[in-house]
Amino acid sequence: MNGQQTTEFRWHGRGGQGAVTSAEMIALAAIEEGKFAQAFPSFGPERRGAPVLAFNRVHDSIPIKIRSGVTNPDVVVVLDPGLLTIIDVMAGLKENGVLVINSPKSLSELKKDYSGPWNLAVVDATKIARKELGVPIVNTTMLGAVVKAVGIIKLESLNGPIKEHFGARAPSNITAAREAYEQTQIAPPVKTMPKRVEVLEVLPSWQEILPGCVVTSPGSAKQYRTGDWRSKYTDFDYSRCIKCGLCYIFCPEGCIEQRPDGYFESNKYYCKGCGICATECPKEVISMIEEAS
Amino acid sequence: MNTTVTVTKRLVNSFEQLAPGHRACLGCGEALAVRLVGKALGQNVIIVSATGCMEIISSQYPFTSWEVPWIHTLFENASAVASGIEAGIRALSRKGEFNEKTKVVAMGGDGATSDIGLQALSGALERRHNFIYICYDNEAYMNTGVQRSSATPYGASTTTSPASKITIGQTTWKKNMPAIVAAHDVPYVATACASYPFDLMSKVQKAMNVDGPSYIHILSVCPTGWRSSTESVIGLGRLAVRTGIFPLYEIEDGRYKLNMQMDKLHPVEEYLKQQGRFRHLSPEVIASIQTRVNADYAKLKEKATRS
Repeated sequence: MNGQQTTEFRWHGRGGQGAVTSAEMIALAAIEEGKFAQAFPSFGPERRGAPVLAFNRVHDSIPIKIRSGVTNPDVVVVLDPGLLTIIDVMAGLKENGVLVINSPKSLSELKKDYSGPWNLAVVDATKIARKELGVPIVNTTMLGAVVKAVGIIKLESLNGPIKEHFGARAPSNITAAREAYEQTQIAPPVKTMPKRVEVLEVLPSWQEILPGCVVTSPGSAKQYRTGDWRSKYTDFDYSRCIKCGLCYIFCPEGCIEQRPDGYFESNKYYCKGCGICATECPKEVISMIEEAS
Repeated sequence: MNTTVTVTKRLVNSFEQLAPGHRACLGCGEALAVRLVGKALGQNVIIVSATGCMEIISSQYPFTSWEVPWIHTLFENASAVASGIEAGIRALSRKGEFNEKTKVVAMGGDGATSDIGLQALSGALERRHNFIYICYDNEAYMNTGVQRSSATPYGASTTTSPASKITIGQTTWKKNMPAIVAAHDVPYVATACASYPFDLMSKVQKAMNVDGPSYIHILSVCPTGWRSSTESVIGLGRLAVRTGIFPLYEIEDGRYKLNMQMDKLHPVEEYLKQQGRFRHLSPEVIASIQTRVNADYAKLKEKATRS
């Protein structure tokens, strides 16, 4: 990739993971090198946990005037491995572009599903972030992987923006980015296209919509799978359960249901994994387990 | 026919007014409060919702999370629209064209209640419309990105009252909304919190049976805006009550009644230290908050003993 054309980035993350900050850091690093760059997010009303997008455009020498979202990116970055199965992250990715994935899986394992006419880069950023920062927030760690895989920005250029943004926490973030830079593995493009995720969204056509924004089907938003936001899932150990129902009454989603045998269980289609039920259960029946493990 | 679920030996309506699949942040204390309110209200209601978190997370056009008739209004006019619907129901009942005892419920966040919608609310209370107003108070404009409101507590850092070297963040004290409503001489005013679900539901049921305006102010823990962990939502609500920062009480025909008699309050620090928005507070500021909370609680206690 060279800087003579506009390089477009699309970041896939979850609300709260810092995809927006990542994009900002890339743009600031590019500007630090005298390039032209922009960074902006795109998300709905949802915040923590919901899939979000952020975008970058970088050009060596010409100011960037386009302001729309990126649909045909040169670079796609996936901060959360859980998103790979629910979002078609490869949508619109250009030939000879770069797909950067954060995953505990190795490059050879991921090649099968995500190799295509683009470079595939993989790093276990969650592991690095846990080690260097103590938290599984991978936004700065992934910057190292992106810089390595894309090659139009120098790793050192990130130091200034990271220092500015993170203050006292900057050194560990810089170390994490450097470690990711060193550990990122890259596979060259292949001719075949991988199997894509089918995203089914049932939207009525304009002819079916009533005037005045009237919605006549109660509870129709039930089709929306908020379970996709989850990073931890609930595990019930019924041997201790006294069927008190506190998990049911304290669930903000209303997704804990009583089974005919009186025990409660959470509906994984909706459960966002907030952990309230596990905290409030008086008998420690419920434990929260990391989704990726 | 409503079915029930037994929760700690008490029967709870299994009806979900807010369907799962809504887009609230994980661990949303406000979505939980709405859900509990819905269980107490049942199905014979019309809900008027001001702009705010609960509107955007539940009405992603062309879908809705609501299982009951629901209308979205602007920030400022939820009470005015509720007034109109209530007047309409009365007119139709008078003509014999409508025989249901449908309750009109207006709801809004702290911004829609204590800032932007205050005059419409005051008007509706003064005109004695038969409706319930529920304020889901998460103490800032959360859906637009945590801007301070008049319900934001002293010392909280928000995006428009950021804490820095020269300021502690929010420098004014939380507006006493229940007292403002009580000054309208309405039959029923109450404060509630989703951490006390049975207390909350019984207050909503009480409000259902009031003939005239009633008001319920619900503290809704917001892990996103308060910068706290999602699993501690219920615990934080309990601490807000036990520290005396958000005491639970009712005002029935002007008479104050404390729902939890607390001889000794938990130190406010316990509540403040769990939240990122208060992390910067110095021991002196925390001490001044403690003094104010003690004084406010003593005043409330006195009101309760006098009435």
